[in-house]
Amino acid sequence: MKRLKWLPCILILSSATSGYAHVGSPDVYAEGQAGPYKMSVVLRPPLVIPGVAEIEVRTESPGVDNITITPTPLTGEAAKHPPVPDTMQKPSKDVQFFTGHLWIMGAGSWQVRFVVNGKNGEGTLSIPLPATATVTQSMHKDLGTLLAILGIALLLGMVGIVGAASSKAMLKPGQTSSATDTKRGRIAMAIASLALVVAVVFGDHWWTVDAAEYAGNIYRPLQMASALEDGNILDLKLRDPGWLRQRSMDDFIPDHNHEMHLYALRWPDMDVLFHLHPQPTGGGEFRLALPSMPAGDYRLYADVVHASGFPETMVSELTVPPVHGLPLRGDDAEGKALPIISGAAARKRQSGAGDTKQSSEEQRFKLPDGYTMIWKTPAPQIPRKPETLRFELLDPEGRPPRDIALYMGMLGHAAFVKSDGSVFAHVHPGGTMAMAAMDIANSNASKNDQSHSTAIDMGTMPGMDMVSNGLPNTVSFPYGFPSPGLYRIIVQMKHGDTIETGVFDTDVPMLGGS
Amino acid sequence: MATVAEPIRYASKREGDIPWYSWCLTLAVTSASIGGRWDVSWHQSIGRDTFWTPAHIAIYLCGVLAGIACGYLILKATFQRPTELIATSVQVMGLSGPLGAFLAAWGGLAMLTSAPFDNWWHNAYGLDVKIVSPPHTLLILGDVAIEAGALLLIMSALNRAEGQPILFSRLRKLVLYLSSVLLMSVMFFCMEFTRDVLLHTSLPYIALSIGVPVCFAATSRASRYKWAATSIAVIYIASVIAFILILPLFPAEPKLGPVYQPVTHFVPPQFPMLLLVPAILLDLFWTRVGSLGKLWAAALSGPLFVFSLLAVEWPFASFLMTPASNNRFFATGSHPFSVPPWAPVVLRQFIRGDQPSMLIKGLALSTICAAISVWLGLTVGDWMRKIQR
Repeated sequence: MKRLKWLPCILILSSATSGYAHVGSPDVYAEGQAGPYKMSVVLRPPLVIPGVAEIEVRTESPGVDNITITPTPLTGEAAKHPPVPDTMQKPSKDVQFFTGHLWIMGAGSWQVRFVVNGKNGEGTLSIPLPATATVTQSMHKDLGTLLAILGIALLLGMVGIVGAASSKAMLKPGQTSSATDTKRGRIAMAIASLALVVAVVFGDHWWTVDAAEYAGNIYRPLQMASALEDGNILDLKLRDPGWLRQRSMDDFIPDHNHEMHLYALRWPDMDVLFHLHPQPTGGGEFRLALPSMPAGDYRLYADVVHASGFPETMVSELTVPPVHGLPLRGDDAEGKALPIISGAAARKRQSGAGDTKQSSEEQRFKLPDGYTMIWKTPAPQIPRKPETLRFELLDPEGRPPRDIALYMGMLGHAAFVKSDGSVFAHVHPGGTMAMAAMDIANSNASKNDQSHSTAIDMGTMPGMDMVSNGLPNTVSFPYGFPSPGLYRIIVQMKHGDTIETGVFDTDVPMLGGS
Repeated sequence: MATVAEPIRYASKREGDIPWYSWCLTLAVTSASIGGRWDVSWHQSIGRDTFWTPAHIAIYLCGVLAGIACGYLILKATFQRPTELIATSVQVMGLSGPLGAFLAAWGGLAMLTSAPFDNWWHNAYGLDVKIVSPPHTLLILGDVAIEAGALLLIMSALNRAEGQPILFSRLRKLVLYLSSVLLMSVMFFCMEFTRDVLLHTSLPYIALSIGVPVCFAATSRASRYKWAATSIAVIYIASVIAFILILPLFPAEPKLGPVYQPVTHFVPPQFPMLLLVPAILLDLFWTRVGSLGKLWAAALSGPLFVFSLLAVEWPFASFLMTPASNNRFFATGSHPFSVPPWAPVVLRQFIRGDQPSMLIKGLALSTICAAISVWLGLTVGDWMRKIQR
């Protein structure tokens, strides 16, 4: 047996930075309407492909009798051929909580289709699920030891059997073996030992080849090289490091109006933040005339969505001298905040000074124009627990602004960034999935199900209320922090022509920690 | 060299009776053989891979039954040491028992080892989409070892049953049946290389030339039966046809996506390879060349096997590509749910057609492989005729 006691375990190839559809945050958190039923959904993709995706659903109200789930690829011929649906289970007495799991058979852009039945009839919702192999799991020491013992027993046993087969097995019943028989048996055992060594070496080689073949399927995001030209022209060149052959760098589709959403964060403090939208120039290249930017080292996170609905986030770093560029325009926005470390320390000091009410029930961020953004109920977060994070915008008088506007078609956008850079997630009020993929998923579903089209109208999605007058001044985002650590949350809302960028920090403790 | 005065008879109460542990081992290998085919159809029709499917249980029941039979024999021989059993036992790692029991026990341990290994493999590299992976190979090796162990147990009894015609005849039938199960395992292992759409390339003939002649030759020599190869080929073909006819009687629907083929019942296996023709020719040849040495017999048997198989399989494969074969018997219209409509197997088109020179080289290689395989089979068969314990 290979890779056991005497051979090293195979390496873990994944890292937190290799998550698709964001960085280090592979789970999909979503809220949506399945007909008359509002649901919170969590899709946890498998770590290996083919593998099992774990699915959780919480319905907003009782009255749901059953939910079925079906996985299909998001696009292409395969999207038209769903398997038999699975029925979700109620694992507890909580009648609003359902769980299930689905086999995801290939890497790429998938969707899970939910069909909900209850007292108000039937509703349907489809949620995109990007699925890729991200790890090669190592073998647990105990299992390795067990397999090593069994393997040695098998090898020794086979040598013994060959020895017996070539000597005593041919003796007549009751006949005793001669010296020649014994010698023949020993020679056979020596040959068998040699043959088994060869077999083990061959097995080791075979395993290595299979592991390498599998490693080739592990997701590798597109790479992005960034450069500054002519003072303020940002040039981004994409490169495919090799993964699935069908991946292209010329098939990006607009995701809420833009083919690329670029977050530029001055690193490591994250005290200067930009949300920009470079334009494609063909051949996997994007360019943008930068706005004025203070000098510094910037970390760039760029979101794109392929035509298949498969989202990718590319990461790059760029050192920028003082840039005297164009004024911000369109959907481009910027924000400034205290450095993340000192911000956390400041809150700690504040907490120590006794202002615990404010820190436990809400966090306030004062915006440069006198407005205030508030994070409601920033309770201690629990890793991987689905939560709805709610933010409110107030004018300088502390009242809801009268001119709240949609920012790229939504009430707000949020980015969750871990202080070490290992997590980046660009989240919308509907959830963590790319909105372009969501559009594909639900246009597919509505083709098959006439009752679906209204259920997934963007206007009914959480935080995407498109009532023409009196838009709410609050926005919420479903999300689960993927791991313990210090996070910065960048929230953007719009009133009039002004895009406000609020910044909040939170420490996500270790499970079971204080 | 001392010998006991009394010849040791087969451990049964009545003349001609076959003891329960032999039947238990026969049932074990039958269970694995059915379970293996059923499991493939399960994956092709339903797709859901949990451990506790009936097909998996049938496979692993083989290990359990083998464990019971072999455990009984080895423990009894080691600790109770009855004279008749000790006289027909060998010693391995301090334990006593018949050689076949040790080999079958080894197979059971290999199957047992493969279970956690395979489970880890799934977790590390994903659900397997191919039969031939290291943990599956260990599982199949374990299964084959149980089959070979059962065969050796019966062979030793057969060799001791000279002069007992009723018992000899019964044991020989059992030997032929167990050999056919072994042949089915070989064909199962070759399944990925012997798809009907590959039958106009050399690959399937190379694969078959390695695995099949050794079974034919060993069975022929060991069983002392004129139509041994023919018999096991008939059982193999009849078994696969039985699966073709029986499996689609039971409903099944895919639970994994995407579903390209409308599957409503279990998908049958591919029509069996026409091994009957080379088997008949080899049986006739071996009957008539008894005076030839093993090397000559093997050298002539190799091309006989390859070219007789090629002569029938090549045109038969062409027939399998026609709509005439799309019926309940030849079953070329039933496809696994996951096969897209543009796949050659659905379009009924041959794939990977070799260039003529490649085909000739491949067939030459097949001939060499078949000759070596026959020589190995004859050698193993001769050795099996000597097995007494």
